Amino acid sequence: MRRRYPVAALAAALAFGTGLAAGPASADVQMQGVTDNEVRIGAFGPFGGPVYLYGKLVMNGVEAVFDKVNSEGGVHGRNVVLVREDDNCKPEGAIAAVKKLAYDQKVFAIIGGACSNATLASVPELEKSGIPMVVNSAVADGITDPPKTNIYTTQLTSGVESRAQIDFALARGAKTMAVVRMTDAWAMARYNPLIAYAEEKGIEFVENLELGVDANDATPQALKLKGAGVDAVIMILYPKPGAVLIRDSLKIGSNPLWVGQTAINDFVAFEKQVGVPDALTNFVTITATAFQPSDPEVKDWTDRVKSLFPNDELSVFNMNGIGSAQVLVEALRKAGPDLTRDGFLAAMGSMDMEVDVYAGPIKCSAGESHQCNQHPGWLALEDGKVVKLQ
Amino acid sequence: MQVLVGKRAFLTALFVFLFVIPWIANEYHTFVANLILLYVILSLGLNLLIGFAGQLALANAAMYGIGAYGTGLLMKHFGLPFWISAPGGVAIAVISGTLLALPALRLSGIYLALATLAFAQFTFWLMTHWTPVTFGAGGFIPPPIDFSPLPITQETGIYYLSWGAALVLYVFAKHAMESPIGRAFVAIRDGEVAAQALGIDLLKYKSLAFALSGFYAGVAGALYSGMLGFVGPESFDLLQMVLHKAAVVLGGMGSVIGSLIGGVLLTVLVELTKEFKFSIEVAFGGLLIVFVLFQPNGVIVFVRRLLPGWNERLHYVPPGKETEEDFGAVPETDPEAPAEPDDPAEVPATQPRGGGPV
Repeated sequence: MRRRYPVAALAAALAFGTGLAAGPASADVQMQGVTDNEVRIGAFGPFGGPVYLYGKLVMNGVEAVFDKVNSEGGVHGRNVVLVREDDNCKPEGAIAAVKKLAYDQKVFAIIGGACSNATLASVPELEKSGIPMVVNSAVADGITDPPKTNIYTTQLTSGVESRAQIDFALARGAKTMAVVRMTDAWAMARYNPLIAYAEEKGIEFVENLELGVDANDATPQALKLKGAGVDAVIMILYPKPGAVLIRDSLKIGSNPLWVGQTAINDFVAFEKQVGVPDALTNFVTITATAFQPSDPEVKDWTDRVKSLFPNDELSVFNMNGIGSAQVLVEALRKAGPDLTRDGFLAAMGSMDMEVDVYAGPIKCSAGESHQCNQHPGWLALEDGKVVKLQ
Repeated sequence: MQVLVGKRAFLTALFVFLFVIPWIANEYHTFVANLILLYVILSLGLNLLIGFAGQLALANAAMYGIGAYGTGLLMKHFGLPFWISAPGGVAIAVISGTLLALPALRLSGIYLALATLAFAQFTFWLMTHWTPVTFGAGGFIPPPIDFSPLPITQETGIYYLSWGAALVLYVFAKHAMESPIGRAFVAIRDGEVAAQALGIDLLKYKSLAFALSGFYAGVAGALYSGMLGFVGPESFDLLQMVLHKAAVVLGGMGSVIGSLIGGVLLTVLVELTKEFKFSIEVAFGGLLIVFVLFQPNGVIVFVRRLLPGWNERLHYVPPGKETEEDFGAVPETDPEAPAEPDDPAEVPATQPRGGGPV
């Protein structure tokens, strides 16, 4: 008798499943996540680990915008609600998060995507679900190039930044350049377009060096850079290895032009990490945001973030979230009271607006350019103060 | 009662439930169920190696990655269909796993762990740096898998392949560990010198343990590349290895059914850490410490205490020789019988274990 049990159970399950498979068709997804009172927006990124800055803190910035909008009556009378999902910065985590947000939480749109590979891996699922997506941290060009109908980014992409780094060094008269880079997905997303653009410009890097994300010593790299006599060093590094490289170079009396990118745009924190007085006199970096967290222009946002998240000090990561959320809210407004996915995407596709925190305007063009932020700003330290360069 | 909580009933219910998931659940739950099936396969394979054969190897995540990369790259570079690439990827994982047995002949314990960890790191380095072949740190998207003429999507197809693989590999592991192979593994784990004295060929059985583990990880990796449609190195890092180890420890070292429970529990716990916004590294690091210190044989111990029918016949006696009852062994479904010790190694030396030399 016992032997028959599994067969019987399997047959019952098959019959049950077949019945369900012939069930009702999927509901209309155009207004998924939208009620008369609220519109649910999903977000995914890492909540912990070394890259939580690009996930949790960016989401806090998004939440600050939603809080402000809701306190002013919402968008067309609807409160904007953020639903967060942790992706652990892993491809399978991002795919699971997108599936959960799209099919389980049933949100209207998604804002987020922190890690390049994880977000890249989720692109097919995003396209399949058709859910509108506004990327606000992941920089890999492949996420939005070629354009995908439902995916836009408000972040400077890796290609934009890499080209800007070389252009800046050339504009400063650098004759010899070197690149020091990490080897993870984030760095490679920047390195590949950097090399392509360097070839286009006829530039050959005199040194092409690697540095680990957790490096505590960069003396060999510093010695090589000094030996090569480079004028400018393109840094594809996170703040920690970047700080170690500059510190160890200063120790041996080498201080070329250091050209950073958006991962190192908190000057105050970076100077502390380097830990050497006047260490950043030759350091410039790209910023996606027009302001430093301490600037009075963003005091309202500082106060709002602080009141919502007492453990947060306003950072550039919060500001990335703020900027992208303002774009998303504007698209919700432009889409009108009868909110649908198509209406929202049409609004995103013709977006042209100034944002409180970004260095330049956000301009999107449906089907042509879904990389809506093409304006890197430049920061440097002058007389102990962070200044914006033209 | 046996119908409700018997081992066979539980397994049947579990696999039937997993079978109907794509019909009754949304895509997210189906995806999580697919992950469960992959972690069951991974946990089974690793348990054969460390739980039964006692080889403290830390390269399972690398084997998993080799299976995924092998499958995806054969499709990407040579345009081979999944049906050829997947066995190819699994074969590469098996060969790599078997080669790992060579240091295991001279090393054991922490030294073997270090050697296999070095191999895992080397594999990770290759995935990240051998850009012309592996596409480097940015990973790659393998071509889509064609399931025609079946009218199913790639996701559904991969799900049922995973389901079938998990079922077959579970049954295979169960029978293998009840056979002379399992006895040889356990003998090697309990004492290599004694095992050799019994005539057990260390090279043969250690190689077999590593090859089997590589096979299981390779199968999971091949399915993983199809399930995700993306292969990148960050999926096969040290955290992945911790997850595999946690699944084995959580379920029960040296227990086939424990591996199955461990794979299910692990995946559910991973999703719960996300739900409750808790760090996955802290959660599983802590869980490993707690289980290693206080219950190294996993949750299967509690299950066996409550349900005697869940004992495993790890030292099965071939028909025609001594009967199990002669040795005081427990019929699988006898609820009144006393439980076997949690760990076969804990069987008193005076208690015969059945079976002859292997």
